[in-house]
Amino acid sequence: MKSIIKNIITATAFFGLLTSCSSDDNSGGNVDGTFGEAELYFDNGVNGDALVLGSSYANSNGETLTINRFNYIISNIVLIKADGSEFVYPKEKSYFIVSEESNINTLHLENIPSGDYTKVKFGIGVDNQRYLEGETAQQEFWNYASQHHLTWTWSTGYRFINFEGTFTSSNNSEPKNFQIHQGSNTATDNYREVTLDLPTTARVRQDEKPSIHIITDANKIADGVNKIVLFDNLNPAGTNASIMGGENLIKIAENTLQMFVVDHVHNGSGNHHD
Amino acid sequence: MKMKKIKFLILSCFVFLFFSCNNDDYQEIPTDYPFDLVIPSNFPDVLQDIDNNYPTENGVALGRKLFYDARLSRDNTISCAFCHEQQNAFTHHGHDFSHGIDNLIGTRNTPAVQNMIFQSEYFYDGASNSIQMLSIVPIHNPVEMDENLSNIIAKLKQDSQYVRMFKGAFENEEITSANLLNALAQFMTVMISADSKYDKYARNETGGNLTSQELQGLALFQIHCASCHSTDIFTDNSFRNNGLPINPNLNDLGRETVTGFPEDRYKFKVPSLRNVELTAPYMHDGRFGSLESVLNFYSNGVQNTQNLDPLMQQHGTLGIPLTQEEKEAIISFLKTLTDEKFINNPLFYHQT
Repeated sequence: MKSIIKNIITATAFFGLLTSCSSDDNSGGNVDGTFGEAELYFDNGVNGDALVLGSSYANSNGETLTINRFNYIISNIVLIKADGSEFVYPKEKSYFIVSEESNINTLHLENIPSGDYTKVKFGIGVDNQRYLEGETAQQEFWNYASQHHLTWTWSTGYRFINFEGTFTSSNNSEPKNFQIHQGSNTATDNYREVTLDLPTTARVRQDEKPSIHIITDANKIADGVNKIVLFDNLNPAGTNASIMGGENLIKIAENTLQMFVVDHVHNGSGNHHD
Repeated sequence: MKMKKIKFLILSCFVFLFFSCNNDDYQEIPTDYPFDLVIPSNFPDVLQDIDNNYPTENGVALGRKLFYDARLSRDNTISCAFCHEQQNAFTHHGHDFSHGIDNLIGTRNTPAVQNMIFQSEYFYDGASNSIQMLSIVPIHNPVEMDENLSNIIAKLKQDSQYVRMFKGAFENEEITSANLLNALAQFMTVMISADSKYDKYARNETGGNLTSQELQGLALFQIHCASCHSTDIFTDNSFRNNGLPINPNLNDLGRETVTGFPEDRYKFKVPSLRNVELTAPYMHDGRFGSLESVLNFYSNGVQNTQNLDPLMQQHGTLGIPLTQEEKEAIISFLKTLTDEKFINNPLFYHQT
């Protein structure tokens, strides 16, 4: 314990030194004019437990969900320093997919100005502006997203989140399918951005690659500030709850604002999560 | 645009340098130029961002070739032009529902492809709002083309003519899904119909003298129809329930399919009336075979279904009261929207 505290004090002092002697002479805000890398690691969970596809999780709506798919789009990443200055990751490179079934959890960022970052901001899904710029601007992202079940084809939008499985409740002991496909349509813009505080400063240096470890709580989608009871959304045949439009998507967009938390940051060199 | 021009200059120098000592591959790629896109003076604003995919001569030629190419479908049998025939203002004449792959039949009537950049949303339910992305819908629809972009790209890469044409049309010279969609978008961008008798009338050009019946029809149209079929592309780009009896076999929810909002149930996009004489059958499900039947519906057939448009309920009775003489006048006016030049324009022909 003592050594941890000692380390923290040393590290803090070190940061203090670095920032104080570099703040005046760097117009670009770099520590030393160099660039480094960083990664965002998305650790999918369900209300405090790890998310394991095929496993069942009870929620506070009285329903038990067996999750078979959880893929989503993360975009428009911004790293923010303590003084509020922002590094906006180049938009044309700033569209990523996290896929539990394909084991894609890490987003690699490069050419980041060296510095100490205290917040990360990102979008959930694809913003309308980028969408309307068409496939060239999207850098073939549509193709990539389509391989990960994150596009609609009967309309031309992206699924921001694809959350699928089966559920049971006091109303149905036999499992019924559910599909939650979060996204925008031509009537509703459901793209949202979140800004997360980092519990530890992320140090980007030429030879140091911080890894920002984010826990994604899939439970929040239907069981957040807004409650979405799957049974109430069954189709007329009573076989399937399909949530792909309307008020539900607006509620889910609000729920997803609380879906991400930065658990910790690894500083130093090397890969932390690969 | 500038970048492209510079690229052509560089390319031209390159061709010149290598011409004497190299093979003639370069020779076969025609120099590209921006397409001379003319926005008709009587038209409303362009509603698509055309600057990020501005049409070029080579891009349009490539888009045209793709439009007529059945390799865009799973079994190489259905092209865009299969359902969008030029002679009928790019609709599927004689079919209420569109035929697609394996002779499967859809649930909607083929919409016209014309004046696309003046529209904010596409398809009867507004499934797309981007001219660059809309082709994804028919390509993937299991009863239309049932194909995906990756497969199409793989097929086109086998064809040396496409290799050459993509090279000539795009900066990165590659056959990609982005370039495929953009070439189709460029072709659709230039599909402008603006040379009907009515247009000449609206622009005070020769050949624009309307008969007294046509003028009477225009006046009636402005009173009874133009609040929805507004501007000189004859749509306000909105979605409305015009009171069609619901076909119980289809129960097509219309706009609600896309938005998920119950207040959008049974609403469909107000279609443009350009070339309407040629685009029968009418309505989203192609239920009416003639303009007479359409006007008979508006005067006598409107039903008070969920979300019926208020404009259909403002005369103390449902629909739009019209006498026989008024209907005939409106139809004679609608026929002045026929654009022979558009349906016969060689720019849109299939060229081999």
